[in-house]
Amino acid sequence: MDLAEKLEILADSAKYDVACTSSGVDRAGRRGSLGSCSAAGICHAFTPDGRCVSLLKVLYSNACCYDCSYCVNRRSNEVRRATFTPRELAELTIGFYRRNYIEGLFLSSAVLGSPDNTTERMIEALRILRQEYRFNGYIHAKTIPGTDPRLVEQLGLLADRLSVNIELPSEASLQLLAPDKEKAAILRPMGQIAAQSAQSRRELSVYRHAPAFAPAGQSTQMIIGATPETDFHIMRLTEGLYQKYSLKRVFYSAYLPIVQDRRLPALTTRPPLLREHRLYQADWLLRFYHFSAGELLSEAEPNFDPYLDPKCSWALRNPAFFPVEVNTAPRVALLRVPGIGPKSAGRILSARRQQHLGMAELKRIGVVLKRAQYFITCNGAAPAHGTRREIAGALLDPKAFGVGVQQLSLDDFAAKPLPEAAPLVHELAGQGMEARQAAELVRQEALSCLTKQM
Amino acid sequence: MPYQADVTDLAYRYDGSFPGFLCCLFESFAARELPAAVLAPDQGQLSLFGSRNIPTDPAKAARVARGLERLGGTVQDRIATGFLSDDPDKDLILLRFARLCFERGPGAARMLGDPDVAAAFALARAVGNEAHLFIEFIRFEERDGMLGAVIHPKNRVLPLLVRHFCSRLPDESFLIFDATHGMALVRRPSGVAYLRMERYLPGTDEAEQDWQRLWKRFYDALTIQERRNPVCQRTHQPKRFWQDMCEMRPVPVPAEETPGKMGC
Repeated sequence: MDLAEKLEILADSAKYDVACTSSGVDRAGRRGSLGSCSAAGICHAFTPDGRCVSLLKVLYSNACCYDCSYCVNRRSNEVRRATFTPRELAELTIGFYRRNYIEGLFLSSAVLGSPDNTTERMIEALRILRQEYRFNGYIHAKTIPGTDPRLVEQLGLLADRLSVNIELPSEASLQLLAPDKEKAAILRPMGQIAAQSAQSRRELSVYRHAPAFAPAGQSTQMIIGATPETDFHIMRLTEGLYQKYSLKRVFYSAYLPIVQDRRLPALTTRPPLLREHRLYQADWLLRFYHFSAGELLSEAEPNFDPYLDPKCSWALRNPAFFPVEVNTAPRVALLRVPGIGPKSAGRILSARRQQHLGMAELKRIGVVLKRAQYFITCNGAAPAHGTRREIAGALLDPKAFGVGVQQLSLDDFAAKPLPEAAPLVHELAGQGMEARQAAELVRQEALSCLTKQM
Repeated sequence: MPYQADVTDLAYRYDGSFPGFLCCLFESFAARELPAAVLAPDQGQLSLFGSRNIPTDPAKAARVARGLERLGGTVQDRIATGFLSDDPDKDLILLRFARLCFERGPGAARMLGDPDVAAAFALARAVGNEAHLFIEFIRFEERDGMLGAVIHPKNRVLPLLVRHFCSRLPDESFLIFDATHGMALVRRPSGVAYLRMERYLPGTDEAEQDWQRLWKRFYDALTIQERRNPVCQRTHQPKRFWQDMCEMRPVPVPAEETPGKMGC
């Protein structure tokens, strides 16, 4: 098997892994080595599904000895199998990196015999890359649950970011779909990485040349939509992970039915992309907007509204919090206004030290006022008045009603619901209704419903 | 406008260089006026306004540069970055911004609610954002041990790429050719230089073609068909960048000619 074919097989097997970020560590280049890192992360290409390619994301091997029912690489599935050699992998990484195709390497693997055996091979590949090829770019390595803690430590000293996949949002689901994995085995390395990473940061602050253990922290991912957990359950789990294991990111992956199994949703199920989008929005609210899971959802209302983003939902439930005065409100309060994010809030704070802000100034600053105007005052005066229906119209998320031409072949000009449109729009369009009409119908329905609630 | 100056119906003409621009700024102070336009030589000869030629005087330029230094890094960066823009109004926008900063002090850079400051901020941000996109999407090809890349930027982004690529590839020689402006950034072990350059012929080296094919195969394997979303792809990676990215081009045609020379 030639290298190109191997690369194709092992990239294809790794593509369902969501994390492709190269963020979290700033490292300038050094003479005698190749590469640098930028804390914000750098994307290098975007595939037709709109996802970024930042790292050379491959499996070391896809010859797995586990049999997880949701996974393409499971033992009982008939697929082409391939395994890299450490040197092939290092040469590929260097060749791509020099040409500015990638930001570094994302190395994961199927379980080759045992977790320890697999991790040893991954460590060997990374060691060659770091020490022989003097690669100074980004490396993200996946930790396989059940690996010996000493091997995890070695891996962390070579990689910038480690991740352990939590796979499914609850232990019951894990038992049902991935009988070879157990919750404790997943959380143990996570705890170890959190502890060692914190210790390494303390040492680095004292000794500049202390070895850095996973300086870009750790992340995890879970599949949503394959099992019946609510959004509230997922958000509480996420919040716990951020607080307890100081994760940098939690990724959500909408379940794609690639495998026929009676324990899984049918193959015709559409991936819940809008739900995934809502979870990411809420995840941002947790990390950058000082929200907590309990504020966004509750036992009584355990799922996100498909037609409203989570921040607008919160604003509508808490009218007493508004209006917010842009000239005096603290940053935390500004961040709660729908339409104002960390960038706008920062600019408002810095601009208002120099001048009073009115509607015209806010526009020039670049604050998006479509939604924000109904929730703020400028020098005590409300900048906009709208009927309840107008306000509701501004708040509805246009993404939920997205329709457009998605050419899959050359003569395909019919408008179709966009991938992230609400499930109801897809359903109506699937029943033969014209896509634009379906989207409009659903929008009107959502609009009158929301107007009544307000 | 918080400072004393007449808005005239006069256009300044200068030689298009940065010191020349600083002299326009000097003139605007000396004559206590704000021009209605500031024109570089390659900009339309036709103008509604009467014009005055502003000669470039290194002594005056140095004086203004020292003044800008006193205003701090934010103001200096914004003017230097904004000056790389190809926006025809950039000179006037930056001149008005600089005058405001001289009047109000370094804090003026934060007055984003002010029209002049907001315009200068938008200018610098557009240039900076474009430079970042090129840091992402530049594709080097190797030829005789040297890396080469072609870009078609809207603004003169080369000076904003130097630091990143010199740090990232500390032991490599490379060349980035800005085809829009006919300029090239060349980095050799001896140092960095900007050269005028007419054209760049893409390499025909077989080993290099293999790398490009390998990368394209990897790229093609990554797409998840069930999640296809070309609109999202174009949002993040606008189509104007595609011409210089090897994976977005159709499969490269096998070479026929002898290896071309760089048109340095």
